[in-house]
Amino acid sequence: MIKIQNLSFRYSGTQKPALRGINLEVGDGEFVLLTGPSGGGKSTLCRCLNGLVPHFYGGEISGKVEVEGLDVLTSSTRQLATRVGMVFQDPENQTVATDVEREIAFGLENLAFPQELMARRIEEALDSVGIAHLRCQPVNELSGGERQKVAIAAVLALHPSILVLDEPTSELDPRGAEEILNLVKRLNDELGLTILLVEHRLDRVVQHVDRVIVLKDGEILSDGSPREVLSELAQGEIGLPPIVRLARGLKARGITFADTPLTVREGRACLSEVLQERKLSPPRPPRYNLEPRSSPKLGAPLIEVKKLHFAYEGEVTVLEDINLQIFEGEFVALMGRNGSGKTTLVKHFNGLLKPTRGEVIVDGLNTRETSVATLARKVGYVFQDPNVHLLAESVEEEIAFTLKNLGFKGEERQRQIEEVLERFDLTRYRSQYPRSLSGGEKQRVAIASILAARPKIVILDEPTRGMDYKIKSELMEFLDEYRRDGRAVILVTQDVELAAEHADRVILLNEGRIVAEGNKREVLSGALLFSPQINRLAQSLRNQGFPQDILTADEVLGLL
Amino acid sequence: MLTYKYKDKGTVIHRLSPWSKLGWMASLVLPALFCNHPVYLLLLFLSTIPVVLVAKLSKEWAALMKFSLFLCMLIIVVNALVSQQGSHVLLQAPFSAPVIGNPRITLEGLGWGLGNSLRLLVIISAFTLLIFAIHPDDLMLALAKLKLPYKSLLVSSLSAKFVPILVEDVKLIADVQRSRGLELDKGGRLRKARGYMAIGIPLLSNSLERAAGLAEAMESRGFGSGKRTLYKELKLTQLEVLALIASLLPGGFGLTLHFLGFGGYQYYPVLQQVGFTGKEVILLLLWLLLLNSMLLVALRRARP
Repeated sequence: MIKIQNLSFRYSGTQKPALRGINLEVGDGEFVLLTGPSGGGKSTLCRCLNGLVPHFYGGEISGKVEVEGLDVLTSSTRQLATRVGMVFQDPENQTVATDVEREIAFGLENLAFPQELMARRIEEALDSVGIAHLRCQPVNELSGGERQKVAIAAVLALHPSILVLDEPTSELDPRGAEEILNLVKRLNDELGLTILLVEHRLDRVVQHVDRVIVLKDGEILSDGSPREVLSELAQGEIGLPPIVRLARGLKARGITFADTPLTVREGRACLSEVLQERKLSPPRPPRYNLEPRSSPKLGAPLIEVKKLHFAYEGEVTVLEDINLQIFEGEFVALMGRNGSGKTTLVKHFNGLLKPTRGEVIVDGLNTRETSVATLARKVGYVFQDPNVHLLAESVEEEIAFTLKNLGFKGEERQRQIEEVLERFDLTRYRSQYPRSLSGGEKQRVAIASILAARPKIVILDEPTRGMDYKIKSELMEFLDEYRRDGRAVILVTQDVELAAEHADRVILLNEGRIVAEGNKREVLSGALLFSPQINRLAQSLRNQGFPQDILTADEVLGLL
Repeated sequence: MLTYKYKDKGTVIHRLSPWSKLGWMASLVLPALFCNHPVYLLLLFLSTIPVVLVAKLSKEWAALMKFSLFLCMLIIVVNALVSQQGSHVLLQAPFSAPVIGNPRITLEGLGWGLGNSLRLLVIISAFTLLIFAIHPDDLMLALAKLKLPYKSLLVSSLSAKFVPILVEDVKLIADVQRSRGLELDKGGRLRKARGYMAIGIPLLSNSLERAAGLAEAMESRGFGSGKRTLYKELKLTQLEVLALIASLLPGGFGLTLHFLGFGGYQYYPVLQQVGFTGKEVILLLLWLLLLNSMLLVALRRARP
C-alpha cells in the first residue's frame, strides 16, 4: 500500500519543483503504469518511494509518503529496502558483483541476512525470474535483457511487496523488452507484487496494467484505467498505440465502441464488427496500391555500397556481401536485431570503418581514400547516446564545435547556429550547460549540432529510444522535411511503428547480411516479427477484403 | 583477442584459495627482487611454468610474455646504450652525442639487461595467476579477511570493473567526435590538446554519471546501512592450510638463502663466473622442490 499526500519536491540547486502537490494511493497488488513526457517527474516520484528522495538526493520536500505503513521521510533505506525494490534504466550501472549469484546476494549481505537464509532467498529469486541457469555466469557477459532480469532477481531476493521499475526496457532491444515486461506481468499475477512501471511505449504494456498515471510538469495529469486514460487524453501528451489512434479516428466519424480497444485482438474484433455491419465499406479496389506517401522524386545515388565485407581484425565476419544504394531525397530505415550489424554498416558511410573487401562510395568519394573529417562535411552521424556527444559549456558552443571543425567561419557560422537553435526549439537553452538538460533535450542538442552543418546525408542511430511521443514526432517531421531538397536520411531503428510511419524504404539486416530490402510496404507487411500493429490487424481481416499492405492507422482511416 | 578478465576454468589452481595463490606470488616476487643471480632468476621463472600449465592459462601467459618481451627489449637496448661500465667492448660508436657521450656496447651491459629482463619475466609470469586465476570477488574477500576495510576494497574492485567500460567509452567518444569533424592528429600542440579535451570531457562526465547511478542502485539495496554479512566466506580446509604453507615456504627459503649470502651476482666490471659449490646445488634443488610444493598439494585434491 502506497499513500502519498500533497507531495512536493524540489532538487537543491534548481528553481522549478520536480513534483507539485501529488496525491496518490496505490493498493496492494495493483499494476500501475507511470508515463508522460520526459522531465515530467516520473523518476523523481519513483525515488520518493524508497527514500532515495530525499535521503540520497537532497532537496526541499513537503507532504507525506507512506509505504506499507512506514513514513518514508523518517525511515532508513535499510527498512525501506525490504519493502520497495527498485530497478533502474541502465543495467550496466546497477551491478556490483562479478557473477550472478553474488550479485543477488549483495542486497542480502547489506541487510545482514544469515547465510542459510541467503542461500534460500537466492534460489527463490533465481527461479522466480527464470535465470537459474545463469547462476555462475559473469554478469558483464550477459545480454541487456538478462542483466535486467538479474537486477530484478536481486531486488526480489529482499522480498519487497512493491517493485518499482524506472524505464527498465529503454536500453533493450524489442525482444529483450518484451521478455522483461512479460516477466513483470507474471510477478504481478503470481506473487501479487504491487508494480509501478515507468515506460514510454504504451503499445507494449497497456494491455497488462490495471491503471495508468500520466505525470506532466510534476503534476498528475490523468489517472485511471488504461481505457479511460487512453480515450480521454489528447494525442501528443502521450504516444497512443496505433490501435487506439484508429479507434479514436473512427469515433470522430461517429462510430463508437463500448470499450476502447487496446490490443490487436480487441482491435480486430471492433473493426470486423464495423465492416460486417456495413457501417463502413471495405475499400475498392481492395489492393492498397499505394506509393510511399508523397514520395519525393529520387535523385542520384548518394551512397553506393559494393560487395562490402567487413571483419574486425582477426575476428569473425560482421558484414557479408552488402550491396546497396541510397538516393537523394530518400528516408531509409535500417532495421534488425541487436548485433545484426546495423551500426557496423552505417559506420562505413562516414569512414569510421573501412571495408575489409569491397567499397563504399559516398557522394563520389571512395571512403577508403577519404578521411573521416572530409566525409563529416557530407555525412552527419548522430550516435545513440547523447552523453558521449556533449562536451561544451553551453548549447551554443556545442553546436559551434561541429561547425568550427568543419571550417565554417564568421557570419555564416553564426547564422547557421541561430537557424538550428530556432529549428530545434533550443534558443531559450542557448547558454545552458547541455548536460544539465533532460534526456530528450540532450538528444535534441546532439542532433542540432550535427544538422547545423546541413550535411547531405544524415544518419541517426536509434535516436528515439526513451524519447517521449511529442519530441519523437517533432523530430520525425523535421527529418521528413530535411531530406526533401536532395538530401538523404538514414534511420537505424528497431521501432517498427516508427519505420512504418516515416520511412520510404526499409532495409532489414540479419547476421551481417541484408535479408530484405525494398519499399516499406513489401518489407513490413506480413512479416511476423517486424510488422506494425495495424498490419497485423489487417492481416486477420483478409477475408473481408482488407488490403494486406496497410501499415498505419491514418492509412486505414483514409481508406474506409 | 585477449581480454584481461577472470574466467573460471575449474582447474585445481582455480579452486585453490586466493590466499595460497597470493602467497605463491609473493614467494616468487620477493626473492626475484632480492636475488641478482641469473640462475636463481631462471629457476624462479621456470617454476612458474608448471603452475601456469596446470591452470590451463598457457594462452593468456603467452600473450603476457609477448608483451613483456617487448619491455625486455627496451631494457636491454637502453641499458646497453647508456651503461658504460663494462670492460668487454663489443661495439664502439664512431660518433659522440650529448648526454650519452661516445656510446659503446659492452658484454657486461648486455648481460645486465638480460639478467634484469629475466627478473621482470618472473614477476609478470607470477602475476598471471592474479589476473586470470583469482576470482575478483574472492580476491576482495581474501583481502577483507586480512582486515583491510571492506568499503575501500569494494571501491577498488568496482573501479577495476570500470576500466574495460572506460576503454570502450574512449573508443566510442573518439568515433563520435571524429564524426563531428574533429581531427586528432592535425595542427599544433594547442589544437591537439583541445582535440583530446573533446574526448576527455565527455569521458569524465560520463564516468561521474555512471558512478552516481551505481551509488544510487547500491543505496537502494541497503548498502552502507549498517551491519553486513557475507554470503560466501572463504573457508580454510586442511588441504588449503597445507597449500598456503606450501605456497609460503619457497619464499621464506629464498629470502633465507639471500640473507645467508647466496644468490648475489656481479655484472660489472666483468661478468662474474657462474660456479656452484656442491652445497649450493643441493640448496637450489631443495628450493626447486619447495617452489613446486603448492602445486603438488593442489594436485592432491580429489576430482569432483
